[in-house]
Amino acid sequence: MTNGWVDMKNTDMMLIMGGNPAENHPCGFKWPVEAKRTRNAKIISVDPRFTRTSAVADLFCQIRAGTDIAFLGGVIRYAIENSRIAKDYLVNYTNAAFIVKGDFKMPADTDGVFSGFDAKSQSYDKSTWNYAGTGGGDATHPVGGSAPPAPKLPEKVEFDLSLQNPNCVFQLLRKHYSRYTPEMVERITGIPKEQFLKAAELYTSIRKDGDMKKAGTIIYAVGWTQHSFGTQIIRTAAMLQLLLGNVGRAGGGVNALRGHSNIQGATDMAGIFDNLPGYLKVPTPADTSFDSWMKRITPTSSKPAPWDSFNYWGNTPKFAASYLKALFGDAATKQNGFAFDYLPKVDRNYSWVQMWDNMYNGVVKGMLAFGMNGVAIGPDSKKNIDALKKADWLVVGEIYPDETSEFWKSPGITQDEMKQIQTTVYRLPCAGFAEKDGSFTNSARWLLWKNTALPTPGDARLDQAIVAQIFLKVRELYKKEGGKFPAPILNLTWNYSNPSSPPLAEVLKEVNGKALADLEDPATKQQIKTGQQLPGFAWLKDDGTTSCGNWIYCGSFTEAGNQTARRDPSDPSNLGLHPGWGWSWPANRRVLYNRASCDADGKPWDPTRRQVWWNESTQKWVGNDVPDFKVDSKPKDHMGPFIMNPEGVGRIFAPLGAFADGPFPEHYEPIESPIDNPLHPAQTHNPVVKRYKTPDDKYATPKDGYTVVCTTYRLTELYHYWTKNNPMNVQLVPEPFVEISAEMADEMGLRGGEKVKVSSIRGEYIAKAMVTKRIKSMMIDGKKVYQIGIPIHQGYRGIKEDEGKDARTLVNLLTPTVFDPNAYTPEFKGFLVKLERA
Amino acid sequence: MSQATLRVQKISGHAGTVPGEGTQREYTVCKLIDTTTCIGCKACEVACMEWNDLPFGETVFDNTYQTMPETRWNYWNLILFNEHVREDDGSLMWLMRKNQCMHCAEPGCLAACPADGAIVQYTNGIVDFQQANCIGCGYCITGCPFDIPKMNPKTHRVFKCTLCADRVSEGLEPACIKSCPTGCLHFGSKEDMKFLAEGRAKQLREHSNHPNAGVYDPPGVGGTGVIYVLHDATKPEIYGGLPKDPHVPWTVKLWKGPLKWLGNVAMVGGLIGLFVHYLRYGPKAREEEDINPGGKP
Amino acid sequence: MSTSEQIIPHGHVLRYTLKERLTHWVAAVAYIYLLMTGLAFWSPWLFWVAVILGGAPVSRMLHPWAGLIFFAAVWNMYVMWAPQMKHTDVDKAWWKAVRYYSTNQDDKMPPAGRYNAGQKFLFWGFFWGSLLLLLSGVVMWSPQYFAWHSLIAMRIAVLVHASAALFTIGLFLIHIYMGVFAERGALSSVIHGDVSIAFAKRYHPGWYKEIVGQSSTPRK
Repeated sequence: MTNGWVDMKNTDMMLIMGGNPAENHPCGFKWPVEAKRTRNAKIISVDPRFTRTSAVADLFCQIRAGTDIAFLGGVIRYAIENSRIAKDYLVNYTNAAFIVKGDFKMPADTDGVFSGFDAKSQSYDKSTWNYAGTGGGDATHPVGGSAPPAPKLPEKVEFDLSLQNPNCVFQLLRKHYSRYTPEMVERITGIPKEQFLKAAELYTSIRKDGDMKKAGTIIYAVGWTQHSFGTQIIRTAAMLQLLLGNVGRAGGGVNALRGHSNIQGATDMAGIFDNLPGYLKVPTPADTSFDSWMKRITPTSSKPAPWDSFNYWGNTPKFAASYLKALFGDAATKQNGFAFDYLPKVDRNYSWVQMWDNMYNGVVKGMLAFGMNGVAIGPDSKKNIDALKKADWLVVGEIYPDETSEFWKSPGITQDEMKQIQTTVYRLPCAGFAEKDGSFTNSARWLLWKNTALPTPGDARLDQAIVAQIFLKVRELYKKEGGKFPAPILNLTWNYSNPSSPPLAEVLKEVNGKALADLEDPATKQQIKTGQQLPGFAWLKDDGTTSCGNWIYCGSFTEAGNQTARRDPSDPSNLGLHPGWGWSWPANRRVLYNRASCDADGKPWDPTRRQVWWNESTQKWVGNDVPDFKVDSKPKDHMGPFIMNPEGVGRIFAPLGAFADGPFPEHYEPIESPIDNPLHPAQTHNPVVKRYKTPDDKYATPKDGYTVVCTTYRLTELYHYWTKNNPMNVQLVPEPFVEISAEMADEMGLRGGEKVKVSSIRGEYIAKAMVTKRIKSMMIDGKKVYQIGIPIHQGYRGIKEDEGKDARTLVNLLTPTVFDPNAYTPEFKGFLVKLERA
Repeated sequence: MSQATLRVQKISGHAGTVPGEGTQREYTVCKLIDTTTCIGCKACEVACMEWNDLPFGETVFDNTYQTMPETRWNYWNLILFNEHVREDDGSLMWLMRKNQCMHCAEPGCLAACPADGAIVQYTNGIVDFQQANCIGCGYCITGCPFDIPKMNPKTHRVFKCTLCADRVSEGLEPACIKSCPTGCLHFGSKEDMKFLAEGRAKQLREHSNHPNAGVYDPPGVGGTGVIYVLHDATKPEIYGGLPKDPHVPWTVKLWKGPLKWLGNVAMVGGLIGLFVHYLRYGPKAREEEDINPGGKP
Repeated sequence: MSTSEQIIPHGHVLRYTLKERLTHWVAAVAYIYLLMTGLAFWSPWLFWVAVILGGAPVSRMLHPWAGLIFFAAVWNMYVMWAPQMKHTDVDKAWWKAVRYYSTNQDDKMPPAGRYNAGQKFLFWGFFWGSLLLLLSGVVMWSPQYFAWHSLIAMRIAVLVHASAALFTIGLFLIHIYMGVFAERGALSSVIHGDVSIAFAKRYHPGWYKEIVGQSSTPRK
């Protein structure tokens, strides 16, 4: 989240889409409700079903799963056409005025793809996706050498503050989304034009008559991410928010609701293969030294000449050097590039779906599965099960016996087949959440320490103890037997008081980082002695005098102690900042880009919600929140508030390699869709999305008889595949079900409670029908389309209390193996099925 | 459940005076349920089960998100889910109403109960069942206009929400209130809750599309210790059959009122009448006129 | 039946067979138990009765069973006596003259058979009252134990049960008064089975005529 849960109480308008927080985040949903109660804030709920969130919304639109870009694009068009945009914000804080290179072409002109598409490799040459300007090593001016260097942003960007230049970002935006008319939105999304216009009117009403006081927030979750164009949906939301001047403001922002208590933490600590902790880009085989790696991943500023840009990622070498010092200690020296050679170089895609594909194809031989139920998670559970059959070994660390550790018992496998499966499965009893300490990083980026409540039962062990003991054993083997490249293992720092079960507080201390030499801040003369914990990432050095496991967590465990364990509930500003409650990255800042909450002169847009402001007398940025800005940058210097971008401003146009599939989001259909893309029928799907080719990977079209749009989701009453092991949860939702519209049930002669079989081209799922008014049939591009929904929670491993009720099949037997090209998230929402009585 | 620190102002099936009646300065407590902010998360259901240590009960899928069709002796707090199409604009509403004992000021259960002290009303307004005194007749079930008390078929004792009298007597809020994530549940004095509820209803009338929003505190049972804010207070029935104008059922009123007096008068009158008749007319035949009626031969 | 019981004392006639007497006393004991426990549930002022009878929960538990026994006895009476309880022209005349009956001027009464019209009324009153009590009682017996339970049925049942009980209590009072206090010999007859010829002549002239025409030593 750019903002935070508590901040939602400050909002005037909420667009909740691609998420169902009332269902999945009931505790956090307190704050939207608070905004309704105390500010008369409005909720617009856009969802394939009328959900628990819709139940308390002021306006509901039923959307076809996977058409969110069309909806948001339509709202962007509406905002521009009706002048409901934040003009000053747009000009000063976004790249709306930047001029884009003349050879950039958009899908309307190039058959549904952006300029530079290579159909053979299904990828883009992104060199045209750039600003017009000079300097910075633009690809059109290669500076010698044999291979042309990767294109770079121009140092000085051409711009037009009147926003009239036909090639300025704003005009391109207007042109691109001019195609997203209410009629087109209706054809694609199935939302009747009048209903869509109501929603667009309501959401943009916060900028009625140029008023800048109000703020609107966009709240989303995996209903947006789990698409083959998920990242682009979120991009569209971010663009809309920039257009309306909502980013950086109390009650504004783009707010991702994370689906588990510590998903944010997992992401921050490099949950995805293509980054290192703190979102440092991983080295690739092309990076031959620390310096060349740094050169590639450290951006240089790119902005209109009269403006200023902080370009905070310019500090990347400090973060990377400190990270390597934390990893390898004394073995990392300036001379050896901080042991850069020890870092694995990522040569290809190692994402979730790819990993299973690799196991299926015999490349991956074994798996350590902790804290997740891989078979049930899917997508295409059958492929995952088939992959495990081929693996040599599987280690599952869990608190319950789960579907993954019993993959060989999944329905459809005969006794004879079971005997053929040679995979050795090790089941390790682990500790439950109440049995371990550590920090959770919540959706609001708050790190909150928790204590152990209960001892681990029986033979159960802490996860870190299991991992540590595996590491120690591996290190011992390397020590004894040598090996191809023992240095990274042998030199890894492991200075814990209990090496075989590292206390997590010590790990957090290590992540925070410390001074490796006496340091002094030249401006304040503040000193830090060798060995002391660092107070924040501003102290990080690229000369090896600091270590830090994750630069954005620097400041979480200082000399003052564990900041994440703080529990001061006070909130002097009454803006829900609670600066003494836990610790928020970065630098205990609660709202990101909060400089944008002020106008160009540094005065808050809304004087009643003062987050930060320019103090004329001290010539500094001060505030209730920690300013997300260079504190002494005068407003007249015109430094952009989006300090993590080399432009210093928000990107309405995302240049160059920012995204794999286009600088502006374009509506593409899900990989399985009931219609051809009305915008460009020849290019229905996201052009860069690749399909897998194993026998288990099948993709359907309506012609195959799969015409019903299916989406999957969770229920409040259950937590993933886990709580079905608890009788009380089983009592709340005793049986799996499929939500079906009353109209469709009538057509099938089906009554609520009767069993239905849902089949996709990949598998089937049997459950009872929940016939409801909350899903309706839709007219999609002139075709009547039914939509159904299935909660994901059940599986073939249950308990006594749900015996006989569970269909014993996994919902993810239905879902396709295909993923978003930017974030590698599989497309769990909006695939095609057919429905029969079971 | 016995609550030593709470005094009693009404006792079921009780002859004579009530020890606590009018002896204590005490707030009437009240639970406010704002149905317009309920998200049906069932945290209150689970909290109720956890606090009261209620055992697992078998449920079956019933074409709804609702946990079970109605409250049970071991399930006192149930959110009722109802899909409702608005008459005015045809839009869908998914109404969620937490259903439990309403803690009526004039409780029908207590009126109907024949067992001395099986149902009491504390001076703070909580209506509580004392299972130790319950005889299992089920009359309370007939007295409740909200169909709340439920009998355990094994022990033949009736159970229902206690408004967590044990917690309230210690100055805590009921478990459901504590667990509610959205703040749709509030607990406090009746006066404060009424104020809050009326304010919220006014807000809904003025700022949301709910011109008929209002507060449900039915006068037919003397007001309730659980009050609702409803989107449409003119149609409480759409919230899973919340009665529009609940009263203690006329059968119970008739039985406990006129019929009781009629019966008492008739019985006592009959006895007196027969006695007087005997005094006036005596037996039909004098002893001497009768032949030894049944003596041994 | 022992031989001694077959002997009818001189001047006596058999009025109730052993079966009839047994049935009566089963009904009587059950009814008195039902009355006492029922009254305890009726009024808080009589709740103590249930306490004496082993506690209110026990009373509540046994009351329906006693009710079944009572009804079984009543049903048996119905089978035995229903033909004799038919309304006749004599009964019509009897009711017209009931004021003489209630003022002990039995000589002015039309000649009653084995049962006079008042007794018939008592019989049918108890029969229908018991039936109502049974039906309403069954509804109240196991509230909510069955999926088909009905709250409305229960509410009506409670009312019907109380009303029917009150009605039978009225009959019961008259029955006791007549049997124990007003008609000397009646109580004895339902214990020993026989009544004096004078009793028969006085209260049931029609019946007396009938039996003198029969064997003079009817079996008990």
